[in-house]
Amino acid sequence: MSFDERFDVIVIGAGHAGCEAASAAARLGAETGLITLNLDLVGQMSCNPAIGGIAKGHLVREIDALGGIMGRVIDRTGIQFRLLNRSRGPAVQSPRAQADRMKYRAEMRRTLEATSNLHLRQGKVVDFVLDRGTMAGVVLEDGRQFGAQAVVVATGTFLNGLIHTGRRTYSGGRAGEPAAIELSETLKRLGFPVGRLKTGTPPRLDGRTIDWNAFEPQPGDRVPVPFSFSTDALEQKQIHCFIGYTTTQVHDAIRQNITESPLYSGKIRGVGPRYCPSIEDKVVKFSDKSRHQLFLEPEGHDTNEVYLNGFSTSLPAELQQDLVRMIPGMEEAKIIRPGYAIEYDFVDPRELGPDLQTARVPGLFHAGQINGTTGYEEAACQGLLAGINAALYTQQRESVRLRREESYIGVLVEDLIKQGVDEPYRIFTSRAEYRLALRYDNADERLERYGRELGLVGDSDWERFNSRQERLAKLRTALDEIRLRRSDAQHAAVSALIGADLGDSISLSQLAKRPKVTAELIMSLLPSELKPVTESDLNSVLADSLYAGYLESQKATIARLYQHDALRIPRGMAFRGISGLSNEIVERLDRAQPQTFGEARRLPGLTPGALSTLLVYLSAQQNQRKSV
Amino acid sequence: MNTIVALSTPRGRGALAVIRLSGPEAIAIAQRLGGLEEVDPRRAILTQLRRPSDNELLDQVLLTCFPSPHSLTGEDVVEISCHGSPAVVRNIIDTTLALGAVLAGPGEFTLRALSNGKINLAQAEAIRDLIAAQTDAAVKQASRQLNGELSNALAPLKERLLEVIVLLESAVEFVEEDIPAVKADEIESELGEVGAGIAKLSESYSAGRLLQEGIRVTISGRPNVGKSSLFNSLVRRERAIVTDIPGTTRDTLSETIDLEGIPVILTDTAGLRETTEHIETLGIERTRRALGDSDLVLVVLDGSSEPGPADRDLLDQTSDARRLIVLNKSDLPSFNGAACCGELEAINVSARTGEGLPSLRAAILATMNSKGMEDGSLLITNARHYELLCRAEREIGVAQNALRDRHSEELVLAPLHNALRLLGQITGETTTEDILSEIFATFCIGK
Repeated sequence: MSFDERFDVIVIGAGHAGCEAASAAARLGAETGLITLNLDLVGQMSCNPAIGGIAKGHLVREIDALGGIMGRVIDRTGIQFRLLNRSRGPAVQSPRAQADRMKYRAEMRRTLEATSNLHLRQGKVVDFVLDRGTMAGVVLEDGRQFGAQAVVVATGTFLNGLIHTGRRTYSGGRAGEPAAIELSETLKRLGFPVGRLKTGTPPRLDGRTIDWNAFEPQPGDRVPVPFSFSTDALEQKQIHCFIGYTTTQVHDAIRQNITESPLYSGKIRGVGPRYCPSIEDKVVKFSDKSRHQLFLEPEGHDTNEVYLNGFSTSLPAELQQDLVRMIPGMEEAKIIRPGYAIEYDFVDPRELGPDLQTARVPGLFHAGQINGTTGYEEAACQGLLAGINAALYTQQRESVRLRREESYIGVLVEDLIKQGVDEPYRIFTSRAEYRLALRYDNADERLERYGRELGLVGDSDWERFNSRQERLAKLRTALDEIRLRRSDAQHAAVSALIGADLGDSISLSQLAKRPKVTAELIMSLLPSELKPVTESDLNSVLADSLYAGYLESQKATIARLYQHDALRIPRGMAFRGISGLSNEIVERLDRAQPQTFGEARRLPGLTPGALSTLLVYLSAQQNQRKSV
Repeated sequence: MNTIVALSTPRGRGALAVIRLSGPEAIAIAQRLGGLEEVDPRRAILTQLRRPSDNELLDQVLLTCFPSPHSLTGEDVVEISCHGSPAVVRNIIDTTLALGAVLAGPGEFTLRALSNGKINLAQAEAIRDLIAAQTDAAVKQASRQLNGELSNALAPLKERLLEVIVLLESAVEFVEEDIPAVKADEIESELGEVGAGIAKLSESYSAGRLLQEGIRVTISGRPNVGKSSLFNSLVRRERAIVTDIPGTTRDTLSETIDLEGIPVILTDTAGLRETTEHIETLGIERTRRALGDSDLVLVVLDGSSEPGPADRDLLDQTSDARRLIVLNKSDLPSFNGAACCGELEAINVSARTGEGLPSLRAAILATMNSKGMEDGSLLITNARHYELLCRAEREIGVAQNALRDRHSEELVLAPLHNALRLLGQITGETTTEDILSEIFATFCIGK
């Protein structure tokens, strides 16, 4: 076949999934082409200008530990950082940051352009080139053909996107950008099950037309917690966000015009996320609430644009303007860009293996919203995994998969490929059975090794990781060994503080588990020869000891759940010969060729019944082999 | 791998029962139980089992050890053939539990046999077919359970537990949102009630077990007060449940009768005691044990004569036990009921004419009413359910402590999720990995 250009890996789409995918593939040594509709919008935040949040911040930390780029880019371009759930336990704390939207794009593009083996190309992919059913390349709208053994599709909402404002609908991938219609047809033609989802975005306002005094300022953290383990200091000047509320007047007006909303007129068929409802939904479904909270998020230092978070809507643009003006403090406000809803295609993620490769077309990987997820962080982590595995695939190296006990990424991927989606999938900490083990602050401990083995974690980061591990180990030992005794000066004061006698002697790690004992208190009890100890090191060590008991019993549970995983499946096993397995299951097994029961167990679409049948069969076969 | 134990023969009364142990500790446990220094593989040993904690005699049994790998499961297996009384079986199993064994999950012996390659391909095929067939049954069973009483009783508890979880989860997940703050005291009282609800169910197990295994009622009294006639007339009037091969019990005469749906195992301590000299001593011992084992003792006195020292001894001996005093021979002219036992309440009956038997019957049932059987309230009868309920209750306790110590929500949630999972194992709503075990669970326990 003759191609205009040849790559090892092609990534379609330069959003949050695509950027991670291309960066990872290129750094693994694969010649990587990143094809996007508009090179000026690389790393565009289509919706709110923020990264992180509960569980999402965990994902960014995991991306960073594996050697991804999102954490570094947001650290360089973030204009407000907050650690959420500060008052709660370390396992559910998570960093969040407002981004300067334009700076984020520029920094992302700069990062990609500084990456060897990575080639940015502008164009619109309309078709795949297959060689006997296996991925061989892509066809562009302008007629060019690029060759590649592996293709990562990260098209976001562009896949057959349809934009709604009021009764008006038009094709588009984002406001003002064309949709990718042909590619959706290609996927359908290949037999992929394609469904429809919906999401929405609020209007953006001109900051000069807002009476800021009417809103309550929400400052960032005094001492910001960055996303990347490698970030020592933040660069951007920090700003405030502001909090306001809708009024019953706004609600009444929405109710009167509800038929103008495509959500309620029946025009939108796609399913939207329940946890990110439009203002129409909020007003209709929670009619007893007299006000809904709004966040005014400045979009950056070099713009007046303000994002009206909490006011996602697909009502007609002129009505949006009227509604906004009913909000106290926005009497004079002008909308720069109206909000809208967008419907788009997604492909059933049960088509994917744990490496995010489709079983249907070897060499084809899917990442981000095409898999039914929502959120930049969810997209980015899939992009990273797909990019890594696409490169490994072209190098005939074993794929990387992450387990749900060790990462939120593992939770997300397994949920997707095993259960599929019926609404846009967002990560939550409650989705992780092993929530207490998956902390934002120990993502490096959990995953950095994998990043290093792959070659995504550079020498200086690896050195930093190791020296932190050493510091933590030393501190851990110290907390176990240092005891607060009755004879110590602080004993009485500490007893009084927590309202209970501490006994004659208590180790600092034991003391830390008592209610009302803060990290600051423990810090103050550390002998001076140990110092300086950073707050973050101490917090990590204390978190380990706080959860140790729970984690111990969790380990036992995991061991019990996976006790059959080591059972081997003979090479070339005839799955069809096992009566009781459906054709679909046999096909899945034949395609995947799992080598152990554990691998089979993790395959998508394998029902518990099929697994038990396989387990019985394998156990019996093993016995027969023994007795022969 | 732990050591599992289960009754391998059908539940209920029989001549013999077989208890099976499998796992690394199986033989050690058997040795401690049987006081055996050494055991020969695959040779039946006649031995007395004693409870190590108090040296109490449990039963005389045949015990056979099958060291790994030549055993049913491929692990060390011990088979204990004991007398087929539910009480004996329960005591032996309880003792093995105290020695470190755990109750086998349904189908766990089969699963272990499979895991260890003890079943060949043909057998596995057959078993796989069985699984396929049993899945349907399992589904039916699960849905029957879902519509059933236990699920109905658990549903509101689970619902409330879920509400608490939802409240706490939202506080954790949606910190940015405008949602009302969690009120710790409300959650605490809610958890208290859920915990109490679960406790009420789990406590019903003692009554539920009686319902399933039968109420053990022992008829005692000095010779010639009419124990056997009372026994016979009770058995004659009430429908005997077990029409067993005669002589299933060697030492005491037992029959199970049906008192309004409640199985009552009547034991006449007379019988052998009054036959031969040798067995008499053994009989006394047995009588004493039967009394100790009973849920209820019928102390039978001859109402037509003055109580003698033997009667008073018996009254003394049983004063702490749950008992009914029965004055027999009310048909005789010399019958002089109340006089004999002073303050003590007694029921007048005539075993010969049947007079007073309805009152006795009502009294037997009445004593059990206080155990929670009255209003037809739900009783836990299944040991697995009991265990799950107890564990769920404990998890809720852990959550309550975390709440009281003002720990962060995720530490309260961890045990609450566990509790929900445990309750889910009763009602059949389980995770995928649990379903795998569930399918094996369609096999009968211990088979």
